[in-house]
Amino acid sequence: MTRRKKITSLKNFPLFFSPAIILIVFFVAYPVLQTVYVSFFSPTEEFVGLGNYFDVLSRKEILNVEGFPKWPPLGALIHNLLWILIHLPLSMFSGLVLAVILRDVKGASIVKSAIFLGMVTPLIVGGIILRFTFERGVGIVNAFFNVLGVEQLARTWTAYPETALFALIFGSVWLWTGFSMIIYSAGLATIPKEYYEAAKIDGATPFRTFFRITFPLLKPMTITVVTMTILWELKIFDIVFVATRGGPGWASTVLAYQMWLYAFRDLNFNNAAAVATFLTFLTLFVTIGMIRYMVRR
Amino acid sequence: MATATEIGIAVLVLIGIIVSASTLVLTLDLAARVQRIEETVAPPPLTVIGPWSGAEMEAFLPVLETFTEETDIEVKYRIYRAEDLSPLLPAQFAARTTPGDVIFMWAWFISEMGPDGHALDVTDLIDEADFTTGALDPVKVDDTIYGGSYTGKVKPGFWYRKSFFNAHGLTPPTTWAEFTALLDEIADIDGIVNPIVSGDAVGWPLSDVTEHFIATYGGPQMHRGLTDGAVAWNSSQVRAVFEDRLVPLLEAGHFSEPTEWTAAVDLWWAGDYGLYFMGSWITGMVDDPTDLGVFSLPGATGLVFAADYFFIPAYTQHPDEAKQLFQFLAGADGQEVQVGEGGHIATNLDVSLDAYPAVDKGVAEILVGKEVLLDLDDTIGGDFQEEFWTQLKLLWVRPGDLDSVLAALDAKAP
Repeated sequence: MTRRKKITSLKNFPLFFSPAIILIVFFVAYPVLQTVYVSFFSPTEEFVGLGNYFDVLSRKEILNVEGFPKWPPLGALIHNLLWILIHLPLSMFSGLVLAVILRDVKGASIVKSAIFLGMVTPLIVGGIILRFTFERGVGIVNAFFNVLGVEQLARTWTAYPETALFALIFGSVWLWTGFSMIIYSAGLATIPKEYYEAAKIDGATPFRTFFRITFPLLKPMTITVVTMTILWELKIFDIVFVATRGGPGWASTVLAYQMWLYAFRDLNFNNAAAVATFLTFLTLFVTIGMIRYMVRR
Repeated sequence: MATATEIGIAVLVLIGIIVSASTLVLTLDLAARVQRIEETVAPPPLTVIGPWSGAEMEAFLPVLETFTEETDIEVKYRIYRAEDLSPLLPAQFAARTTPGDVIFMWAWFISEMGPDGHALDVTDLIDEADFTTGALDPVKVDDTIYGGSYTGKVKPGFWYRKSFFNAHGLTPPTTWAEFTALLDEIADIDGIVNPIVSGDAVGWPLSDVTEHFIATYGGPQMHRGLTDGAVAWNSSQVRAVFEDRLVPLLEAGHFSEPTEWTAAVDLWWAGDYGLYFMGSWITGMVDDPTDLGVFSLPGATGLVFAADYFFIPAYTQHPDEAKQLFQFLAGADGQEVQVGEGGHIATNLDVSLDAYPAVDKGVAEILVGKEVLLDLDDTIGGDFQEEFWTQLKLLWVRPGDLDSVLAALDAKAP
């Protein structure tokens, strides 16, 4: 009997699994199911079906497309999508570029550690740094635009509805770039050097080598980075909470922040549960899609 | 079939679980015994949760120390801002537990929690007649009082540096025309970014400025009407206050863009701005409080006084001791110690004027002859408060959006 067969034939698997399963049931499954259950009831505990979902989705702070296209506020749902559209490619490609540039550099680990600091910085701290980065008089971004003479952008970005959301998105790229850089660095280490040697002998340019060898072979890493980044962007809360509180005029609010507001400012746990469930389904939709794509490949 | 090794591992895991569980039970039992022994020797320590840190905490701790000296009850102080408590307390209360025995919190939150049984009824512990008129209204629901009012801060108007005014020959205004002329004069001074710096935190400094305009040019009655929902935000009278007074100043650039409020103190003190609208606690935030001057908007007949409120959670393990502390904090003895530290005004009428430092006496003088108003957004609370804050931030940079701002406020108003 092979070792693999021995393991699969173990009858006391449940015994070994039970501690983890008990924890998951009590601390993950039960709260999730309870949240979904609560989302179907009114604060007076009457069954309202999808009423809470229609209620929150009809609110301007969740979806505000009147007069679209326009500047923010566009509603938390659209803001989350903008996070994905802008933050995902920026953080992914900066991580990839850094990983490629630093691959053969001596002492790269020190630089990588410095870049990875953003990843281990608590998001609350990151949010505070971000706020001051874009503050007139003290912010480096404002100083930069001042030097360039671009008065319109040398103001406090978080104070204006046109720029608040973009300040959060651009300002948080450094917080997440470390993640994609590390994943891509690990991926680059798995590509055999012979491929590059062969490409060199064939006279391939570095540009062509990157797009014909490096990038295709990093596909599994790209899928991981894309999935994890989208999940991070969908559940973003801390940065918004400390830097702008979703303002001005809800111009930078996101779904997770609205969920917090409904639960702990409005004390309407049912609407908060509806947003939480909606957010969970969005997340599941993305995750399942990515996993299926990976399995197919 | 499981091998002997696998069965052995399973048995070991089981033994491990049993030993861990037994150790945990024994430890908990031992801790409970120790606590019982300690409690027979000395009164249990209380935990007070409040929002103050740094210098403000240093000014509050002597109050708790005085209580301990008088009662032998130890008190631990923990810092939590109301914004941080709001997500924490409902969950704790649902589990019938509490992180503190006496908690400082928003008045609206206390009046929400009280009728649900999460805050102790303290009606018999304090006498409303001992407090400034209406001070306990925000924590009262149908004649039942669920919280106490501690000291508070006045939001008297625009602060300026006397030395700055003297150097540029400026004088505090007595009419609206003089006020706007003063702003024009300040705007013309070299090095001035804007005449008034707009402090920004979660949104409250802007709400204080707005409330001052409403209380002055709409009158105390409009302020109270907006607080209790009797007046609509998009009514013609309220709109007039914004259109005729506040919005023209915003459009003229007399207010700065919202700036982080503590950084704004330094910028204003350094002369980048001429005026700063702030509460009376600013006296404790500047290098030289004797250089401070303050004036209200010309014609003000009402001023906002924001008291700090506290309550006893129903799940305290030490209700008797917590009630003693509650009475001390609401009473003249406790509040006298606090006002003596500076920056605070008592809500208990028995606190002697002699207890105040000189600079706070000056603040108290501004209140003479004025109607005292409750802080509008702190009293309403809930999602209106967040809406109020975020819409005012929007108005500050887009004064032309007045219609949508007032409509949004009206939709969330009580």
